[in-house]
Amino acid sequence: MREEHLQQVERWAHFVKENPTKWKKIHTEFIDALFEKHESFRERLLQTPNGKEKLQKLHDLRK
Amino acid sequence: MQRQIKDRNILDKFCEDFCTIVEKHCKYIVVSGFLAIASGRTRGTEDIDMIIEKLSLEKFKELFSDLINHNFVCMQSSSAEEVYDYLKDNTSVRFTWKEKDLPEMEVKFAKDMLDEYQLKNRIKLELTGLNVWFSNVNVNIAFKEELLKSPKDLEDAKHLRIVYAEQINEEEIKMIKQLIKRFRL
Repeated sequence: MREEHLQQVERWAHFVKENPTKWKKIHTEFIDALFEKHESFRERLLQTPNGKEKLQKLHDLRK
Repeated sequence: MQRQIKDRNILDKFCEDFCTIVEKHCKYIVVSGFLAIASGRTRGTEDIDMIIEKLSLEKFKELFSDLINHNFVCMQSSSAEEVYDYLKDNTSVRFTWKEKDLPEMEVKFAKDMLDEYQLKNRIKLELTGLNVWFSNVNVNIAFKEELLKSPKDLEDAKHLRIVYAEQINEEEIKMIKQLIKRFRL
């Protein structure tokens, strides 16, 4: 599994190197999706009982 | 720097906004994971790592106040003196956009000759499309292969070796690995 994953990392790195004007759009959608996912989860958690307190605990973990 | 790539993601915007302010006050570098991500690695991160040159309290207060005035907050404290104490003790401090949990900028003072070397040899990387100073690619590869060594870091190093194949200097990587063994292990 790790070997296959490493091969995927290498394939993508070659794509970046060979397509300097194409990779960024795909990459941007991927990165932004991670943060959008985080933000929408955060909003959902806020709507739940004790959601605010849970978010505060998560925040404090990172201090 | 001529920009060829216009799609800035959230991490890019956060990093450039932060660096634009820091640049006015001191020498800095962005290191480690974000260099790989800005160079196309498809993985997530919560934070961007930054090393800044050591500053006096007075100069740090100016930087801190500029960051606060531009909508950044420090997670540890809103007091510049307290945050400076963390930095002076070689503890990193974290900044976010006000009212946004993520991403974070993890900032620390340069602490030894390895950090000084990185600051001295900092570069801008056209492939990233960002107007940001990074520590050079060879140093990042050396840290990831010799010190950090997690699967994620080894994959970052592999990625950097491919996309920056022409900039790879094995002699420099070897030299940095020796310095890492001497100062960090």
